[in-house]
Amino acid sequence: MKEMLTRRNIVIGAGGAVVLAAAAYEGVRLLGKRRAPTPYDDLMARLDDRDADAQIGETVLANFDNFDAKTVAAELRLRLQSKSLAEVMLDDVRGGRVMEAGGWVLPETLALLCALAAKAEA
Amino acid sequence: MSAFIDARTVPEGTILQPDLVIVGGGPAGIAMALALANSSLRVVLLESGGMTLDAKTQALYDAGETGAPYLSLQASRIRFLGGGTNIWGGWIRPMDNIDFEERAWMPYSGWPFGVAALKPHYPRAQLLCEAGPWLYEKAEQWSPQLGPMLALGEGGVVNRWFQFSKMRGSVLPTQFGVRYADDLKRVRNLSTHLYANVTRLGLAPGGAKIDTLDVATLGGHKFKVKPRAVVLAMGAVEIARLMLASNDVMASGVGNANDLVGRFFADHPIPRNIATLILFDGKLAPYYLSNQSIDGAVMRAGLFPSENYRRAHQVMDSSITIENQTKLDDLGKAALAATAAGLGVDAGNTVAYSLGGGCEVTPDPERRFTLEPERDALGMPRLKLHMRIADSDFAHFRATLKELGGQLLASRTGMLRLNLKERAQWLEGLDWGNHHMGTTRAHADPKKGVVDANLQVHGVANLFVAGSSVYPTYGAVNPTINLIALALRLVDHLKGALR
Repeated sequence: MKEMLTRRNIVIGAGGAVVLAAAAYEGVRLLGKRRAPTPYDDLMARLDDRDADAQIGETVLANFDNFDAKTVAAELRLRLQSKSLAEVMLDDVRGGRVMEAGGWVLPETLALLCALAAKAEA
Repeated sequence: MSAFIDARTVPEGTILQPDLVIVGGGPAGIAMALALANSSLRVVLLESGGMTLDAKTQALYDAGETGAPYLSLQASRIRFLGGGTNIWGGWIRPMDNIDFEERAWMPYSGWPFGVAALKPHYPRAQLLCEAGPWLYEKAEQWSPQLGPMLALGEGGVVNRWFQFSKMRGSVLPTQFGVRYADDLKRVRNLSTHLYANVTRLGLAPGGAKIDTLDVATLGGHKFKVKPRAVVLAMGAVEIARLMLASNDVMASGVGNANDLVGRFFADHPIPRNIATLILFDGKLAPYYLSNQSIDGAVMRAGLFPSENYRRAHQVMDSSITIENQTKLDDLGKAALAATAAGLGVDAGNTVAYSLGGGCEVTPDPERRFTLEPERDALGMPRLKLHMRIADSDFAHFRATLKELGGQLLASRTGMLRLNLKERAQWLEGLDWGNHHMGTTRAHADPKKGVVDANLQVHGVANLFVAGSSVYPTYGAVNPTINLIALALRLVDHLKGALR
């Protein structure tokens, strides 16, 4: 039986694996959900799951007659300028700033981020 | 030991002449009768029922209802010795200081005395309820053995404890009629009459005192009682009925010169599935979900608005209990994922629970009983209840739940969904505590209350009321231990007044 683990075969195999991995990565990127850019993509980057967050955001928007996304985004940027989202969320609840989203009591900043996510999907 | 007297065997035309007659053998009446043992007073206790439920006697409770949905007034009371304790759940917790305070934002609030007036009587009341040692918040010292208390961030909702009356076979708490029958028989200065219904409070001419009580049995047997003093202890509904129906001397009824008797009726609304609680780590001590033995007492933890929060935010009382595990819908799962990710907590072991609870209602003079033309088997007019519940009562409860939601987030313990918002949602499946209160409210001013600080009916020198009908405001805790403490306080007053 001929030896299979020759240097030539290893190089060919490794090269093939790299090509496959690259193709898979690009495929996911191309096939994944593509979103139009928004004026608050920097804020959206704070969110984990835009689809789920937009679902929550729809119920947050129900609390508003007029939701001014630009003003809200500016306010959120200020809050998040030098703090993590977790820190700002805790600041919110300790300061009594909570909002309802379909009955769920959420820190105001998270609720407004979700509302922006919903606006972005609209 | 002397046997109970069957009122059906008392010779027609008999006139009993005790120092004191107690009408009603529920927890208040029994507590008073026992507390008067070996005093110099000759006491008669009159109980409408016998030792077990009888359909014809129970039917005396039939009453009409209009307005907001409420329980059947026959099914929510029990008419035999022991009264309400024959069907109670055994939940016990003393009222708070704030419950007695006059609050500018709460109409008709303010008791004519503070909680300090009841404190000396709570230990005896606790003993009668067989609720074990006085622990309540001290249970926190022992509870860590069973698991830690819920960590709540700074805010208005706090962990509090209920104690429970002795559980028999893990099902029934202390039934006063069964438990204390032999004790009552041993009291030498007491005669207890069963099947004895008071059908009229006979005012003396001028109406300044009670002269005679008419007593009847369902078989038509009649006799009278001419006591030095009378205590009405039949519960907030029947006390109002007897006072209103005894209108032969005063057309408006006994003690009703200012049209207050029967008004301000109250109970504790118990809406179901009021909120959904998520605990991120899924850990919950068992004493939140069911009764647990802690240092000789049977206890369960709940969540209450603190007194400071109630004062500062002008909210009425409520109590929150954690009930069953529940599942999250898609929005709930999304809210959990977003919140846990944002806070940076692990939600891998999350468990969700439904919350229950009860709340206080605003004192309302239009939530009231009136007499109907229809009569019962004893010839007593039936009652009709006009029930009301204000949207603001639900709003107060909701505000407290929202506060709790913030505190759970602040401690990174969990989160909360408020399940009820619109009035129709609150009313759907609404239950009640069967805690009848308020129909003979206490106030120092006769224009604002039926009884004074000594629980004497204004303007009627020898007529007193024991029980939760004297509550001007109601808190959210179960009334039994509190009304027993009130009754024991009344005993002290009567021992002096009738000396």
